[in-house]
Amino acid sequence: MKLSFDDSVESFRQEFLEWFAQNRPTPEEMAADPKQSSAHVPEWCRKWIGRQFADGWLVPGWPKERGGRNAGPIETLVYMEELRKADVPRSTNPQGLGIITPSILDYGTPEQIEKYAMPVLRGERTACLGMSEPGAGSDLASLSTRAVLDGDHFVINGQKVWTSGAAWADFCFLFCRTDPTAPKHKGISIILVDMDTPGITVRPIEEIVDRKHPDLAEVFLTDVLVPKENLVGEMNNGWAMANGSLAHERGMVWLDGVMLLEAMVRDALAEAPAALDRKHPTERGALTDALMQSYIDSVAARCLGYRGFAKLVRGGNAPEQALMKAFDSESRQRLALRMSELLGAEALEFDQDASGYMADASWLELYFRTFASTISAGSSEIQRNIIAEKVLGLPRG
Amino acid sequence: MDLEFTEEEAALRDSVRDVVEGISPPSVVRAIFEEQGDASEVWRQMVELDWPGLAIAEEHGGVGMGFLELAIVAEQLGRAVVPGPFLATATQFAPAVRELGDADAQARILPKVAAGQLTGALAVAERGSWRLDDLGVAAQATPSGDGWKLSGRKEAVLDGATADQILVVVRGDAGLGAFVVDRSQVVVEPRHIADPTMPIADLVLDGIEVGGDAVLAAPGADREARVQRVVEEATVILAINGIAACREAFDMTLAYAKEREQYGRLIGSFQALKHRFANLYLSVERASSVCWFAALTIAEDDQRRSQATSIAKAAVGECQSLLATDAIQLHGGIGFTWEHDVHFLVKRAKVADALFGNAYAHRARLAELLGVAA
Repeated sequence: MKLSFDDSVESFRQEFLEWFAQNRPTPEEMAADPKQSSAHVPEWCRKWIGRQFADGWLVPGWPKERGGRNAGPIETLVYMEELRKADVPRSTNPQGLGIITPSILDYGTPEQIEKYAMPVLRGERTACLGMSEPGAGSDLASLSTRAVLDGDHFVINGQKVWTSGAAWADFCFLFCRTDPTAPKHKGISIILVDMDTPGITVRPIEEIVDRKHPDLAEVFLTDVLVPKENLVGEMNNGWAMANGSLAHERGMVWLDGVMLLEAMVRDALAEAPAALDRKHPTERGALTDALMQSYIDSVAARCLGYRGFAKLVRGGNAPEQALMKAFDSESRQRLALRMSELLGAEALEFDQDASGYMADASWLELYFRTFASTISAGSSEIQRNIIAEKVLGLPRG
Repeated sequence: MDLEFTEEEAALRDSVRDVVEGISPPSVVRAIFEEQGDASEVWRQMVELDWPGLAIAEEHGGVGMGFLELAIVAEQLGRAVVPGPFLATATQFAPAVRELGDADAQARILPKVAAGQLTGALAVAERGSWRLDDLGVAAQATPSGDGWKLSGRKEAVLDGATADQILVVVRGDAGLGAFVVDRSQVVVEPRHIADPTMPIADLVLDGIEVGGDAVLAAPGADREARVQRVVEEATVILAINGIAACREAFDMTLAYAKEREQYGRLIGSFQALKHRFANLYLSVERASSVCWFAALTIAEDDQRRSQATSIAKAAVGECQSLLATDAIQLHGGIGFTWEHDVHFLVKRAKVADALFGNAYAHRARLAELLGVAA
């Protein structure tokens, strides 16, 4: 145990920071052309992705030809930490870069890599992840969008929902049922579908925040014809690959949530004292106490993340990893709720036209926004089932 | 930051655990709770193993290990509700002598502690508070002849009724000071508390006259920061001791949920219990991760140590309040019996929480340190 990283890690950090200072997108160009969706790469970001790729800073853990430099996991963590600190995303299409591309690289054909993965790594194409359906949310394996192989093509029919960035993405990493007779986990395949294929209709879903900038969407697929060579990996092996793709950089997915929580805590500590001053002592005590619980959450989240990460790096199991998603999303939710209650009537502002940047949002908006994290990618309740069954070994009910 | 044990640290933990299982098995703990035994044999064996001097410098006859190693031992002592003078002597009294005493005082006292010839206690709290400002320390030291007169009342002193010497923190005109007195010089009011393996007493300083040899640090303006460091060490040790008791109670309760059947199924298969277990587990991990962070800040004398101390003690306090309830509740009727061991762990967690400030006290302190509250 020690508080610091090894010198070699710190010199890696310095090397990145020096490069970053020369190559980062400027706050001005970022603000002038904000991303409109999680599958929208503005011009500044396309260029930024290109610079990262060329110099091996896009996915540091990968080899040079894929935009990396064969960095180790601790170095990668440090790199992500610095990017988040600077509030600069690697890509404005995070699911494309972080989940879909790695899966295609792992399981796809050379042609798929050339046509789908590499353009994402160059910022030229964006991708969305077609998983949830009206009848398959937390219970993803019960999805029913059907793909039938007919000669050289799959014929796809069905509906997806909560698909982030569907209205902007160039292609979809689509989970389909290809064998309706097999047990539900064993009849699922993944197919790459260009979003401009005839038969696809995207209907954006207005959210309780940012109504004018919908990112989530319903995707309707009616007799969509997709060449059979767009099947990723083996037929009916999609579930295993899903677990693989969601596991990419899994030792580090906690970092974003934790650093978001830390940033919110910093804002809260800056704002709270003035508001607390105006309160009755009893209120002040209760609110201060609650705020400190959030502060402790943020320190604990970082410590838990680091501890789980250290275990993974040493090749062990890290039960902490299973805790992080529910913990950091609920911590953010509690903090935003507490701050909105602390500020009371002063924090009721709600801007339906907001551009979606956190910095401008009121605490009440932030509170609503956190439900995106407590519901998606395995709701907090599902996370608790996973912790109870997979980590604690309690029997399935 | 690396919050996972190195191989050496893990090896120390494992060997301490083995020793603890040998010298303080559940039967010894139960005997003390049932007023049919004492801790003298446990302590004798710890002395044989040089544990009293674990974190005392080699020049004073100690083993010369650091705070992290002390914390690793404290964790195992909490896990097994181990009785005896170790916590008060090795994690409160000796660090206070090291931090507050000059070279002579250290050379006079620490070798005896390291050799197991002297036990000690640290008396800080008054009126339920471990704060060092006027809300806390009010006991007085006033010059008297060549020495000092000490008067006031100290509360909740761990081993206060049994330790050979008491280190008392008092207030003089110039600021805080620290004196070491024999137990026979103070009026001892032992208290009968939930966990008799953590015996505490209130002590009355009845205007006692002490000579210059009792002065560890004469009252002065720069003393408070040093006393604070001592209090922080003791606080983190108690936090780690308490969270270890919590974790053991959690494990015990979890094991019970995997063997107890009702309505034809294991009770651990009910989602109502699963979600409670997930919450408990999160609370245990949350607290334990910040405990080790705090231990590191002290071991490395990092500037975040004051904050980290309060974060750790508060998080453990939050955990025990959740866990104590569920550890008993989820055991059902058997959890309410004296026969079952889980209440020993719960009681240890309760005592560790109350001493050196509970979660509310430490969240308030954290707010002060962060400048959120005046």
